Amino acid sequence: MMNLRTVSLYFLLLLFASNVQAKAIKNIETDDADIEVRVFPAEGNVLLLGFPCDEGKSIAEEKTAQSLSEDGVEVWMPDMLGGFMLPKVRSSLASIPTETITAIIAEALKTGKKVYLIASGPDTELILRAASEWEAKGHEPVAGAILMFPRLFKDEPVPGEVPEYVDAVGKTRLPIMLLEGGRTPNRWGLNTLSHELQKSGSDVTSKVIPKVRGYFFKRQDANRSEDVVTSQMAGLIKVSLFYLGESEI
Amino acid sequence: MYKQVYLYILLFSLAALSQGTVLAANLKPVTDEVAAPSLTLKDLQGEIHDLKDYRGQVVLVQFWATYCGPCRKEMPSMNKMMTKMGDTPFKILAVDMGESEAEVKPFVSEVKPEFTILMDEEGKSIEDWRVFAAPSNFIIGPDGNIKYTLFGGVEWDSDELIEKLKALAE
Repeated sequence: MMNLRTVSLYFLLLLFASNVQAKAIKNIETDDADIEVRVFPAEGNVLLLGFPCDEGKSIAEEKTAQSLSEDGVEVWMPDMLGGFMLPKVRSSLASIPTETITAIIAEALKTGKKVYLIASGPDTELILRAASEWEAKGHEPVAGAILMFPRLFKDEPVPGEVPEYVDAVGKTRLPIMLLEGGRTPNRWGLNTLSHELQKSGSDVTSKVIPKVRGYFFKRQDANRSEDVVTSQMAGLIKVSLFYLGESEI
Repeated sequence: MYKQVYLYILLFSLAALSQGTVLAANLKPVTDEVAAPSLTLKDLQGEIHDLKDYRGQVVLVQFWATYCGPCRKEMPSMNKMMTKMGDTPFKILAVDMGESEAEVKPFVSEVKPEFTILMDEEGKSIEDWRVFAAPSNFIIGPDGNIKYTLFGGVEWDSDELIEKLKALAE
């Protein structure tokens, strides 16, 4: 028989779970696939288009999206892997057509809101690739992009040599905010990556988040600092939007 | 039954062989004359070490961090490597990448490295040496030039690596 403490725990868990539910699911039909988008609506004039690429399993991102929507920032999270029935491996990114991503950007811009792109890790390649294509076609511009812990090396870095980045780096003029953990070797590559991104005209700002490792919000072994920063990720994103010049948050 | 045992032996042999091949492939020779950048840092006891003071020896300069899984895993094999190198003039300078002493000391007291740990909290040497990932390794010859580089964790006490390093010292 369940005691009062267990019942309370279940109640809290249910309450917690209900808080992270997407408010709506939107289907975007493109030439190549039907993409399911989790939408966290908001009244404000800012829309954050995130590419989690995780078949809908992004728990921390959903909580952050919910929190942002409560603060007036609308969040869309398209499930790119699910749309193409791709496994969650890095090589899947190459199988996601740029046109599909730009079709989602077009749909987001139809809301009339200012659209910012966000992605983490190797998924950041998607938004750079799409932004470049979007600009090349002379469309209404996207407002900026947040790259969290970008992992954009083309190959394993050779000690002593400047790394080579994936082709999408240095092709867009989008204002970019780079966020990197303080406890990852990648923080030492921030200046080099910023320099590469600036070559195409991007205004790049970078910030190191102290005491956290890369992907801290996805880690099973998160430490106290990482738990704290994960719980404050919505604030971190709002600060990033501010650095990108957004005043309506 | 015997057939099955032979098959297992064959598979194990192939696995061992392939591991050796991977090690050889990972150690990237630097064919041009490339002088090692300068490196002057304090160890955990506050003593200053300058790479140029080790001229005439083979030096493994490694960039590592406690948050790097492969770095933690390979450190015990670096202790064994020190033993296997015997009288060969050889030194390891393991540069911690931007952590504080408070972050490094608990791991050091656990592993008890028989080589020098250097601290670079500001990351100056990391930029000078163009290090973008961990562990990043540079093997410096007695002439002060970089002879090999290697990215990623390895078993440093493997016979293949020991032979290569001993050959450099000759």
